[in-house]
Parts: sequence; C-alpha cells; structure tokens
Amino acid sequence: MAAGTGTMQMDPLFLAMSFYRRRKLEECAEVCTQLLKKNPYDQASWCLKTRALTEQVYVDEVDVDEEGIAEMLMDDNAVAQLPRPGTSLKKPGTSIGHGAPTPGVRPMSQAGRPVSGFVRPGTQSGRPGTMEQAIRTPRTAQTARPVTSASGRHVRLGTASMLSQPDGPFINIAKLNLSKYAQRQNLAKVLFEYIFHHENDVRNALELAAKATEECQFKDWWWKVQLAKSYYRLGMYRDAEKQLKSALRDQDMVDIYLYLCKVYRRLDQPLTAVDIYKKALEKFPGETTLLTGIARIHEELNDMTKAVQLYKEVLHFDNTHVEAIACIATHHFYTDQPEIALRFYRRLLQMGVYNAELFTNLGLCCFFAQQYDMTLNCFERALSLASDENMSDVWYNIGHIAVGIGDIQLAYQCFRLALASNNDHAEAYNNVGVLEMRKGHTEQARAFLQAAAGLAPHMYEPHYNHGLLSLKIGDLQSSHNSISKSLEGYPDHSDSRNVLTQLKEDFAAL
Amino acid sequence: MSSRVDASSDGENQRDEEESPEKSIWLNAHLDPMACLYTFSTSISLADLNADSDYKLLVADLGTGTFDMKLKVFKGTSLYMESAIIDLPIALVSFYMDTNDPRTPAIAVASGPFIYVYKNLRPYFKFTLPPLSVNAVEQDLWNQAKEDKIDVHVLIEMLESLKNEGSEGMLSVRSLKLLSLQPEEVESFANVHKHTTLKRQTVITCMGTMKKSVADDDAVSCLVIGTESKDVYVLDPEAFTVLAKMSLPSVPVFISVNGLFDVEFRIVVACRDGKVYTLKRGSKMAKACIELAAQAVGLERTGKSIIVGCMDNTLQCYSTKGKKLWTVYLPSNILTMSLMDHKARGFKAVMVALSNGEVRIYKEKYLVNTIKMSDAVTALKFGRFGREDSALILITKGGGLFVKILKRTATFEGKDLTPGPPPAQSIKLNVPKKTKLFVDQTLRERDSASGMHRTFQHDLYLLRLMSARSYVSALQKSLNPISSSATEPLKLSAQVQGIGPAFKLTVNLQNISSSVPSSKLLITFQFDDSLYALSKPCIFVPLLVPGLMYAYETLVECISDKGISDVIKVFVLHQGNSIPVITAVINMPVSEALVIV
Repeated sequence: MAAGTGTMQMDPLFLAMSFYRRRKLEECAEVCTQLLKKNPYDQASWCLKTRALTEQVYVDEVDVDEEGIAEMLMDDNAVAQLPRPGTSLKKPGTSIGHGAPTPGVRPMSQAGRPVSGFVRPGTQSGRPGTMEQAIRTPRTAQTARPVTSASGRHVRLGTASMLSQPDGPFINIAKLNLSKYAQRQNLAKVLFEYIFHHENDVRNALELAAKATEECQFKDWWWKVQLAKSYYRLGMYRDAEKQLKSALRDQDMVDIYLYLCKVYRRLDQPLTAVDIYKKALEKFPGETTLLTGIARIHEELNDMTKAVQLYKEVLHFDNTHVEAIACIATHHFYTDQPEIALRFYRRLLQMGVYNAELFTNLGLCCFFAQQYDMTLNCFERALSLASDENMSDVWYNIGHIAVGIGDIQLAYQCFRLALASNNDHAEAYNNVGVLEMRKGHTEQARAFLQAAAGLAPHMYEPHYNHGLLSLKIGDLQSSHNSISKSLEGYPDHSDSRNVLTQLKEDFAAL
Repeated sequence: MSSRVDASSDGENQRDEEESPEKSIWLNAHLDPMACLYTFSTSISLADLNADSDYKLLVADLGTGTFDMKLKVFKGTSLYMESAIIDLPIALVSFYMDTNDPRTPAIAVASGPFIYVYKNLRPYFKFTLPPLSVNAVEQDLWNQAKEDKIDVHVLIEMLESLKNEGSEGMLSVRSLKLLSLQPEEVESFANVHKHTTLKRQTVITCMGTMKKSVADDDAVSCLVIGTESKDVYVLDPEAFTVLAKMSLPSVPVFISVNGLFDVEFRIVVACRDGKVYTLKRGSKMAKACIELAAQAVGLERTGKSIIVGCMDNTLQCYSTKGKKLWTVYLPSNILTMSLMDHKARGFKAVMVALSNGEVRIYKEKYLVNTIKMSDAVTALKFGRFGREDSALILITKGGGLFVKILKRTATFEGKDLTPGPPPAQSIKLNVPKKTKLFVDQTLRERDSASGMHRTFQHDLYLLRLMSARSYVSALQKSLNPISSSATEPLKLSAQVQGIGPAFKLTVNLQNISSSVPSSKLLITFQFDDSLYALSKPCIFVPLLVPGLMYAYETLVECISDKGISDVIKVFVLHQGNSIPVITAVINMPVSEALVIV
C-alpha cells in the first residue's frame, strides 16, 4: 500500500484521530504510543491515547447498576425498615392489588417480582433473604452477583484492561501530581475519565475531581457530576445527591436527572425517583430514557398496568425501543393475549433482533395463539441459535409445548435435556418430578422435587407438588410442611389452600 | 363443605367491618399487656372473697410452665395477694363450704393429685385423692429390686414388657418415670426411690362445683373432679369425704355440672376419646351420648343444650339426649370457650376465643358480637368484678390482662347469617376480551386447517427426532445430573459456596431407587489446573443407601488473579469403568479480587 512505499504518509496524529473516530481504538492507541515514544511531552497524542484507552472499557454509568451482596444485606441507607405498601423496591409484594400478575400465571423471580420481559442489571437475580442464600444461589460466571458493587463488574473491566496491557500501565497514577493536572482543565477531564473508568481507582478520581471543581470556582456542572459518580461508587449516596442537585442548578441535562434517579433508587425511594423523572420530563418532553425509567420503577413495584402504559408512551416517541416492545409483549403474553404478543415479537424480528430468546418467545406465542404451523419452526431456529447459556431454557420451553400436545415422552426428554445443559434448572427439575409422579415413581419424583425446592426456594410449585405427593402416599406431616412453604411463596394459591384445609380436617379427625 | 366455611366467614367479616370502634358495646376498663399471666379459662374465677360485694379476680397462674406457679388475687386493677402453688394448677373454683356468716367462699385449686382449699386467702385444707391399687407384678418387681435380687436393667426390661402388655395406664408414676429416663440416670434414680413404698396415684384433670341441697347463689357446694384414672368423684364440702364415685370409659377433660347433689344432677363430661358422656344421680357408669368428629376443645351448657367446640374449627350444639342441633364453622382454631351468663338481662351466650385474636359471642347459633384483640385469648371469664355486674376478663397468650365492661345500653341482636350465594359469585372475572387479531387468526386457522396440521405434524416428527438424538447423545456422554440406568439410579447436585479465592464445592449424591443400593463409586473432577487447585481431586464413595442424601465436600482454590472463571465438571464413575455414570457442570463464580477503594 501507499505506506509501504514511504513516499506519501498521512500525519500520524491525524491518522490516530481518524482511527479514534472510526472506533478503531486499539490502532489509535498504538499510533499514539509511537508518537509518544518520539516526543513524550506531546499533549495532544497523550490526550488521544488516554481517551482511546478509556473508550475501550467505557460503560454508560447511568444504566449499569449491580447491587452487591454486601449492599443488599448490610443496607444502612434504607429510610424505613418496614416501608409502607408500594413505596419500596425491597418488598415488591406489598403493592399487589392493582393489576399485578400472580405467580400462578407469571413466574416470579426470587424477590417476588414478576419475571421481566427484558434482562437488565438487577432483574436476573432478586434480593436474597439471608446471607447464606445470597452466597449459595447460583453465583456463576454468567449470573454472578458481586460481593460489593465496588468490586464485581468494575474490577472485571479493570482486570480485562490489565490483561490487554502486559507491559504495565500507561499512566502511573500514584506518581501523578493531581493538583497540577487539576489546573489544566483540558487534560483534567480526560485524565479523570481514564482514572475512573480504565484504572477503576475511585479514590484518586475523587481527589482529582474535588481539586478540579475547586479550580473552576464550583461552576462547572461536569465536575459536579463526576464528583457524584465517585461518591456513588463509594456508597456515599447522600453526598452524590447533593452534588447532582447542585449540578442541576447549573445545567439541565437528561443525564444528570437519570443519575439522580439512580441514587434515589439505591436509597430505596422509588416514588421520589418517579417525581424526579416527571420533573425532568417537563423540561425534556418525550425523552424515552426518562419514560423508560418510570416504567421500570413501576414494573419493579409490580404495577404492570402503569408500566405497560408508559412503555407504550415510549413507543410513541421511539418505535424501535427494544426494551419497551419486549416488556409490552411479555405483558400481553401473560395476560392471555398471545396473538398481540406475537405482533410485538414479530416487530422485534423485523428490527433485526435475531436470537434464541426471541425465537423461543415467538414459538410460544404461535403455539398459544393457535398458529401451529409456525410454532416448531421457531423452536428449531431457537435451538440452532442457542448458546450454552440459554439452551436449557429453549429445551424447557419445548418441553412445555410437548406437555401441551400431550406427548409425555417428548416432554420428559426435553426437560432432561434442559437439565443436561443447565444442572441448576429448578423449573425443569420440578417438571421432571411431576412427570415421574404421573408415572408412579414416587421415590424419583420426591428426589426431583426436593432438588427443585433446594435450588429455587422462592418457587411455590415444587413445594406444592411435594405436598401433593406426600399427601398421596399418606405422609401428612411432610405434606403439611411442604404446603406451608408453598403458601409462603404464594399466599393466595388456592390449590395449596385446598390441600391445607383437607390436611387440617385429617389432623382434626378422630 | 369447604364452600360453606368460606361463605360463613365472608359474611361475618363483612359484619366486622360494619362495627366501628365507637359502636362497640364494650368499654375498656383495664388494659395491662404486661401482666405476665399464663393461665386458662378453667383456672380463673370471680368471687366475693370478703363478703363485701367487692368481687375479686382469682387466677391460678402457671408461672413459667415449670416453676413459679402462683395463686393471684386481683382487687380492682391491682394485685391484692399472691401465694405460691407447689405444682402446676389444673383448675380453680370458688365455692361455699359452710353456712357460717359472713358468707365468705373458699377457693379450691386442683394440682396434681391434690386439691388445696383456701379460706380467707389462707391455706385451709389439702385433699389428696384416694390411692389406687398397685399392679401386683409391678409391686413384686420393685420389692425384688429393693432386696437387690434383680438388677436395675432387668427391672426396666420387666417393666417395659408390663407396659407393652397394654397396662401402661396401670403403672405407677415411679415406674413410668424410670422408663422415660436416659440410661445413665437410671441407676441413681432406682437406688434413691426403691426403698419407699410403691404408691399409685392418679391426677386431677378437671374440676367443677355442684350445689348440695339448695339452689341458692350462696348455697353450700360440692366439688366434682375428674381424674386421669377415668373416674369422677363428688366430694363433701365440709368433711372432704367422697360422696359419690363414678367411672367413665375414657379420661375426662372438660366437665360441666348442673342440678343438686341431693335431688337430681347431671354431669356432662367431654373425654379424650372424642366422646361426650352424661352421668346422672345414682348411675355408676357413664352413658355415651355424643360422638364428636374431632377432639373437643371446650364444653359449655346453656339450658338444655350442650355446646362443644371442636378441633376442626366448629362449634356444635347438641341436645341433652345427644341429638345434633346445629354447627357453626369458624374461620380459625378455637382456643378456649366460656359461658356468658348475664343474669340481669337473662341473657346466656357462649364466648369463643379464636387463634386469630377474635372473641366471638354466640347466642344460640347466631353471632351477636365480635371483639378483636391484638393477641390470641387463652382465658375468658364473664361475671361480676369489683362492683360491676357485667365485666369480661380476657387473658391473652402473651400474658396480657384485659378487663372490659359491657355498656348498659348494649343490645345483642342475633340474626340468621346463613347467607345466600357467596359474595365472590357476583364478582366479575377479569377475562381479557378476544381481540380482532385473534378472530382474524381463527379465520386463517379455519381456512387452512389441514395445511397447518400437516406442517405441524411434519415439524413435530422432525423435532421428536432431533430431541431423541440430543437425548441419546446426552445419555452417551452421561451429561445428565441424573442417571437413567436401572443399575445406578443416582442424582447429583453440586453447590459452590464462598466468595473466593477459596471456595467450597459440595457434591450431593442421592440414590433415587427404592431398593437398589449402589456401591463402588467414586467422584472425580475435571478442571483447568492453571486456574484452580482442588484439595480432594478424587473422592471414594461408600455404599449409597437408597433415598438418603450424601454430601461430599472439597475445597477449591482459585490460583489465578486475573478475575477469570471457568467450569468444573464433576463426574461420578463406577470403579473400573472410564465412562462416567453421571456428570454435573459447575459454573464457578468469579473469585473476588481484593477490593480497592
């Protein structure tokens, strides 16, 4: 190529900037390194390299929020230990009553919250009740809950960047004179982001931000937001709130509002967060991130009707919003309107979402909307697209179809396959248990149901099935124990209640 | 039957909501949630102890249940007197034992085989139940033990066989205690007690009073006691001699007496066999009159009807002949029952305390009033307290003492609450409407039904084939955590605990067959040795008994500091066979690095 001949060469800094713009960040960093080798005091290339390295690991702070085990179990920020119904994210069950789906219809997560239509941080694993449960529940590579939010994903990102740089870090933060950099605003902002995102050294980042905001007489909203980010990482939520409110006085920004709401959510004040979102919406009408934020809070408070209303509003402004479409579709599916859910999922497919989850959902919708010719086709595609992670769920759902058409042999195979790809699939254990029960293999059924109950203590089904099994073989005491546990998980389960009344009659009878 | 339960409770709940607090017919006279009383309805009484028309509340307190038992007397709201009782009190009654003036009643507290009688709040007399004959074989055994002819262990063995012959109730307390002791305590117990003479004593289970010859309020009364030896005794109030002894087929638990001893009387007894018996004057044996469906938890009589509260949450009424008159289904368990006899108005009702904290008042089968308490009530008494004619004493499970006074303006309206259709019947179900889309789709389905069916069947065959193939390959690779072979029916589950870098891996192995034990198994692991180090890479499994869960643990240490995680595979192998029986794949959590803040 041209570079090989040596006759014509582009200005390396310009080339680096071009790489940066085209998001070829590694190439950009490489060119900058070459430049810095020639001239170590070249501020422009230093700046560009710093930004390129930051961009590699940059994650939008507003959305990423993973509560660690320590934050959840040793939470001292909650205002009320026994919050009033519908005012806390920690007791989502308290607001049941207005349009909340029951666990009998829509599966619940461990926290007693209906399974969401869209996976986002914090939806996959709920709030465990005890320390033991928190540490024991599947903390695997895919769904691990970090010990604290100070480690977890941030450390992982940090270490990932360390792996890619075998010859030591680019900037040695310990040797930096932070107050010198704080005076030079053009470098300070870049350096801050590097320290915060790439090095993940929140304490030094905070120090730099504090010095820089002082340098500009506390007038730059950007530094205030960065201070708030650092405070948030350190768990000083009230300080973060103060900085963000101050930043809002200087400058109205969607981002700041979103960040403030994130702080309130962490403080378990969902209603305040909703208020802030609404205030922001007055200034930025039709902003979908704000609308989505309110919808998520309603969803987490189990108020599906309101959540769906807001998701529809989101679609009004942005008709390619994947989260909104997925959540509305899930809602329709679980409220007995699979044909409408099918429409929404098809929309997702048209938009180019092409994965196993979507095809599984399409298949289920087709089956329940009685469009049988398309059902199995979808599942076949789902199987071919499935990764190790979601293979078990695809088989599990095919198992449901098999149960639906009465092919017990196929159902059994599918549930066993679900178990083969994910050994901790509690639902599949439960269903295999039920099938064994129907075959009359009491011992096996009991073992499977116990395994299911052990893996997912929040599910009521294994407890109920175990109770039923024990009742059939006349073990009334275990039956009573299991049924009581089932009612703990789902207090309004009428079948469990019937069994309980029958048990009580049996116990009282002479 | 269950629908009736729901219906009645719903109807009554609606009624509860109607009653706002200001409309309550009760005035709160005294509330002491910290009174620390532990007692039951049979152990409280109201009596005019000093003959000054100031009625006192007498409580036989069970203390902690093991010690600190006391007789407590409350005057007004304050504790007036207390005196210790040696054993757990069973029942307390106040009665007039003589015709002397002033008319001060005596208090009788039944406890174990004794009745302690108090007069003027001072111990006056202790009555002991007549001893029963000792089983001859038992007597002989103890005599031999005393003379060291037999060993203690032989003694226990012989007593055990005696007990197993079905004469458990016939053994003395000493023998029963010996049989229940731990092996190391046996010797010393036998040595201490074998020298005293063997006695067989029964204990009192319930107590009541019966007027002797006159029906006046302050007439002399006899004590009527039921015992564990299935007897009912009537005691003379002055001489404390047994006036009459009657036997029952079972152990009495609740007793209700009316009539006069010298004229005609009727004793109704609820027994432990779930039957209610009646005893009449002159009869030596009881007549079974009612067979209950569940154990009785309370027994009261109003006029000619017997009202029994049962363990199956029902309140049942029978005539004295034993004919069932009505049944009321209650929403919760009955804890205690008591009669409410408002003499000034001639109003008689039954109060029922439920485990949900309600106290319901039933006039006949009609619910006339409900009192909601914060805690479940264990003891109830209605009567004259202090100078107030209609006071209600409530003692709760938590030990609180509550006194309520019936308003003078109170009226009890009983109405038939047998409802029509349950209210749930008229609630519309929120069934989503069928959408136009759905209708369109059904049209499509109708038009091309056969085509759809054919495609579906075709796809289904393909799917069956595909799943069968995957299933077979999973079986061949033994990927399943459950083995399906008939020879090794095993189930494996594994858990990881810990934060890292050290983890504990627990492998739970269960033999899920009903009778085939498995043996010669071992557990081994497959892992990346640059990431993890296992303390026990191979575990030998002993014989697995069917049905039991076996847990095997090994420590896993993450030796990499890169923050990466991997899977660990657990294999269960049969010795001498390289193909695993079952496999489990464990996704290891990321080892938490040192937190730098």
